[in-house]
Amino acid sequence: MSAGSKSLSDVLARDVAYSGEGISVRSLEDNIQEERTVQDTKVGELKVLRDRNVVIQTAMADELKKLRKFSDYIDGTATKGGFWAGFKEVVSYIPGFKSIAISKRSIEELLKQQYQVSAKRVKEAAGYCDVLKQSEQELYTEINRINGKIVEAAENERRALEYVLDLRTMQEELEAELQTIEAGSVEARKIETDQDRIRALLAEHSTNVQLYGAAENRYASLKENTRKLAETIRNLAQDIQQYTTAASIKLDMASAQIQAIGRAADASVVMLEMKKSLDVMTESMNVTTQFVSDTQIFFRQNLDKLVEELETFDEGTSALLDENLKKSKEIEEARIQSAIDKAMANRAKQVDGGGASAPAEG
Amino acid sequence: MNELVTLHTQALRGAVVPAYLDKLIAALRAARLNNTFPDRRRVQGSLETLKLAMEAGLYDQLYVDARAGLPNMASFTRVLTDHELAGGSLSRMSETAHYEQKRDEAEVYAQLLQKRRYFEAIQGQPYAPLDEHRVQLRRHDPATGTAEFRLDLTKLDATGLYVRITIELTQVASAWRRKVIDLDADGESAAANEAFHATVYRNASYDAEHLFIHMHDIEGVSVDRVQRGVIGPVLFRLPREGEPTNPVVPAEPDKGNPRLGHAWRRWLESASSDAPELLMCFQTDIAARDVREEKSNDPIEDLLSTSIQDSERARYQHTRERFPFKVFKDRKFVVTRGTEALARAVCQAAGTKNLIYRVR
Repeated sequence: MSAGSKSLSDVLARDVAYSGEGISVRSLEDNIQEERTVQDTKVGELKVLRDRNVVIQTAMADELKKLRKFSDYIDGTATKGGFWAGFKEVVSYIPGFKSIAISKRSIEELLKQQYQVSAKRVKEAAGYCDVLKQSEQELYTEINRINGKIVEAAENERRALEYVLDLRTMQEELEAELQTIEAGSVEARKIETDQDRIRALLAEHSTNVQLYGAAENRYASLKENTRKLAETIRNLAQDIQQYTTAASIKLDMASAQIQAIGRAADASVVMLEMKKSLDVMTESMNVTTQFVSDTQIFFRQNLDKLVEELETFDEGTSALLDENLKKSKEIEEARIQSAIDKAMANRAKQVDGGGASAPAEG
Repeated sequence: MNELVTLHTQALRGAVVPAYLDKLIAALRAARLNNTFPDRRRVQGSLETLKLAMEAGLYDQLYVDARAGLPNMASFTRVLTDHELAGGSLSRMSETAHYEQKRDEAEVYAQLLQKRRYFEAIQGQPYAPLDEHRVQLRRHDPATGTAEFRLDLTKLDATGLYVRITIELTQVASAWRRKVIDLDADGESAAANEAFHATVYRNASYDAEHLFIHMHDIEGVSVDRVQRGVIGPVLFRLPREGEPTNPVVPAEPDKGNPRLGHAWRRWLESASSDAPELLMCFQTDIAARDVREEKSNDPIEDLLSTSIQDSERARYQHTRERFPFKVFKDRKFVVTRGTEALARAVCQAAGTKNLIYRVR
């Protein structure tokens, strides 16, 4: 036992250096929960945006309705009572203007007010684009962090597997040695003591094999969901940017026409030109309305599905953790065996691959 | 940049933008504006906000009215909406320290840092309205049923100019209780009714004489004074880096004021300065009972009486005889070194003596 004793003491005394903060069922659960909280926050932000989107859509639709009415009535096609009768009805859509005779209002002033409201709505939407871009960037940072965790878990799993294999070898050697010694002798008792120590180490490190393996897989799933969320946010931000840019350019280009036509309309001179100017503004609102309508469908189709997937994932991981806790006692031997099988398979794969490093020797 | 991008609109980009805004701000400060004009601090606040916004990269270009030479409605609306949304945006954004820490990580953080600093900088700062209408009760005598009011309208006019109109008028009891300006139950505060408000608004582009006659014709109203203070037009010559012979200039100065536009074009032919040059006008136009002598000291805008057609003169004189007021028009200029001679030549040609302030 002299040569084996040195090897045995080395193996038993080996300090297996796992990187990171160490792992337990509880700490893994806590870490995963922490990562989930980040996702939940982002999903929460998206939900707020979805609600806000509805508000913007409603407001935009109202503005579009007013502008279209303006346009139709100025065209003289929408009312039998002529332009002024129609115009009076149009203005009644604007808060506070319901009871005012239209001939008493300045059209230039009304149009400027409408222009200002429209510009504000477009800018509000653009503001949400900033929020989304920041969220997207934070999620990519999160993905980098999760990648670090995945690599760390994979490396720790490999260390655990290598140690489990060494312990198993040692266990087999001791078993063989025990057969050659008289049962109940001092030597036999010493070997049994070493076997118990090895069993304890096997239990501890085979648990690590499973925990680090589970951590690697679950972090990988978490990363996949985070990536989906980031892509969802990026697509949405791009859509918003595209539409706000288009709308604000149209508004910028329309401002001088709106003033000019408002002034002309006030002078009751060039009514038809007013329609031309309003068409520019209406076009901008059309882009906007199309966008909000599209994004609502996008939300309905994607966000709910994403949330559902995340919830399913959550239930799955919790169940796995519960099961681990409940059955850990009963399946210890099976787990050790499973870890050894995995380690053996891993070693075989490394030998086949020819490039992997050999397990550390005691 | 000298071409129109849409009706009466030029788009300024790059280094000429801060040069242009700095000159405008300096000119406003130098002009010593009294309360006849739109509030100088608020207009200046808007220009400073525009400068900050351009520096922060929030906008690619500054839209300028090609006739008036001032930022146009789209540009002034940017300032308004940014002020309206600043508080809400800041509450949704992360703290400055967060963006400072992460600005090298990704471009988006650097952009958001700029935007946050911009919103923080403009919060609580003054800015000019597109339109603002106020009515003040000056005196109220319930015994005689007489009330004196001052109407105040500030407007970014469709001509591209910033205009302030102040009308002092008196209402007589039987009329004012029903129309034009309404007093509250306590007789302490007043508001113009919509029709009267609209009448003033619609006529804001016309001169004080026109407004006086128009208002005075309303039943139950006696006008005491109409005064207009107008900021603009502005003429500028902004050299472009690497293109000394192709400076940025207003595209439609003749539509701002034909007489000034003509003189400006002549001046441009010999202008060769490397520095930004600017000439900014500040007009006052008063029609009031207490003006002693009817006169225009405005070298680029005559009195209505001098331009009336012969066929209309008799009718005009008859109208004027009905109203006890006189008109006084004046204009002061703020100039840079290069445009001072132009301003002096314009005044000399018209035989007027005007205040001319120099900015660097």
